[in-house]
Amino acid sequence: MIHRSRRLTKVATSALLALVGFIFAFPLFYLVATSLKTKADLFAPVPSLFPPAPTIDSYTSVLFTRGFGGLLFNSIVVGLSATALSICVAFAICYPITRLPASPRLRAFVLNWALSLRFLPPVAVVIPYFAIVRTIGLYNQLPALILVYTIFNLPLAIWMLRGFLDEIPREIEEAALVDGASRWHAFRTILLPLSRPGILAVAIIVFAFDWAEFLFAFILTATPQAMTFPVGVQGLVTQFAIIWNDMAAGGVIAILIPLSLMIIARRHVMSGLTFGVIRDK
Amino acid sequence: MNAAPARPLAFAARIRTAWTQQSRQERLVYKLLLPVFGTVFVLATIPFVLAVVQAVTSDRGEFIGFENFGRALGNPLLYEAIKQTGLYAAIALPIEILGGLGIALLVHRTVSSNVVRAAIYIAAMIPIVIPQIAVGVVFRLVYAADSGILNVLLGQTGPNQPLWLSSPPLAMIATASVDIWQWTPFVYLVMFAGLQTVPSESVEAAQVDGATAWMQFRHIELPYLRPLLLLVLFFRIADVIRVFDHVYVLTGGGPGNTTQFLSLYIYRIGFKFSDLGQASALAVVVMVAMILFYTVVSRYLPADRG
Repeated sequence: MIHRSRRLTKVATSALLALVGFIFAFPLFYLVATSLKTKADLFAPVPSLFPPAPTIDSYTSVLFTRGFGGLLFNSIVVGLSATALSICVAFAICYPITRLPASPRLRAFVLNWALSLRFLPPVAVVIPYFAIVRTIGLYNQLPALILVYTIFNLPLAIWMLRGFLDEIPREIEEAALVDGASRWHAFRTILLPLSRPGILAVAIIVFAFDWAEFLFAFILTATPQAMTFPVGVQGLVTQFAIIWNDMAAGGVIAILIPLSLMIIARRHVMSGLTFGVIRDK
Repeated sequence: MNAAPARPLAFAARIRTAWTQQSRQERLVYKLLLPVFGTVFVLATIPFVLAVVQAVTSDRGEFIGFENFGRALGNPLLYEAIKQTGLYAAIALPIEILGGLGIALLVHRTVSSNVVRAAIYIAAMIPIVIPQIAVGVVFRLVYAADSGILNVLLGQTGPNQPLWLSSPPLAMIATASVDIWQWTPFVYLVMFAGLQTVPSESVEAAQVDGATAWMQFRHIELPYLRPLLLLVLFFRIADVIRVFDHVYVLTGGGPGNTTQFLSLYIYRIGFKFSDLGQASALAVVVMVAMILFYTVVSRYLPADRG
């Protein structure tokens, strides 16, 4: 009896989980399916679930004919520069508060300040930044985006990096200092190599966040010279007559990069999303 | 015996003594931290100062007092936007939190295979890491009229088909459902990670004593999950205030003002109506509100506070 009812529960929960999984997966499946359709398929009276003649025409159309390749390039330049800057600044801030005898109050102040930035809605922040960027002549320029992204992904970088640095025992460096090494030398030869995996994980998560950012780029850029990929994708969705397969292809490209990065850094995604409260398993 | 400094000079001397008494290492902390942290602190604080300046001056730079604040707070559309944002949160957040918690309990209790658990972990991560704009694209394909796959699957493609993105109550449900699709997996991941921290001895002891599944959850697991539930709630509330991207590409804030949530409303005032004075006043109000919100909630966050 007990065994029977337990097996029944197991079947029922598996079915329920499969149903939930299906509801979550279906929209993504349909996105990919649509991106592989031909222009002619779009005029079918009833859209098909599977592309009758799969083609990558929509991808070449988006990247080359529409010139989104340039936007992709902008996104990569902005993402890499802002990530590098965020990491350097976060390291400079985390080093004194984790490796030196900083007072707990100072440490708490820095960390709290960083976390509080996470609670500011971008739309409120972008209004004054819009004025600054126009005044100093950086409107529609990549450096403006790099600067803004660096500042607003800094809290994440600081909190994640702090978690990694806290795990490296101070004694290792102190041993070198006792042996007469300078602090700079100990940093270069001991701390930096030890924190490399942590730096890499933070860099991947921050890059994925920079990549996905939309509102700042939407407001601070105006032409393809400085637009990022998400701004271009937005144009495909809001234009008057949507070309569905091109729009879907744009969506797939926008998803692929963060998705593959996050799968590589999967052990650190939760820590990134919860500011280090949930550590990797 | 903390006597207040009698004279400024004595106070300065005391600071100097404190400084020299600190170890070289402690001074190094400030020497290293100040230049970088100071710069970043200023760069991140400037917008707030500038928003205040923009809000109290006219386009020609004259001081106009609180006129912009008066216009911002006197605009009935602001309260409409707040109400719709609240409604959005009231639909999305309970489903996300209860759904995520429910699935986490289900998987925790019934799935024992580590491979399946790891597969669910990766699958749950997918919606979270997708850029919001791409999420908008995905659901445009689902909810669009005529060619949207939802109405096709429902067999509703005629003239009386439900207009998910352009009829008032449906547009709210459609945009909130996107939030649910994207963030329930996040709640699941946090809750599932939390359930792994519950000591198995207490669970086994309870089971030996004949505790029901509900009692086991209520008295053993819930106390471990409570700080995480709070964390998730605070982050999700902060996120609802930021909601912009997917709504902008799905409905643009329409129909009417149905999905004109707070962020979209501020955007509209600032960049569609080019009323940066009023938008700055709104930005200041929202920033102050969120800083207050953060000050209150930061005390309940389970994070290591330093």
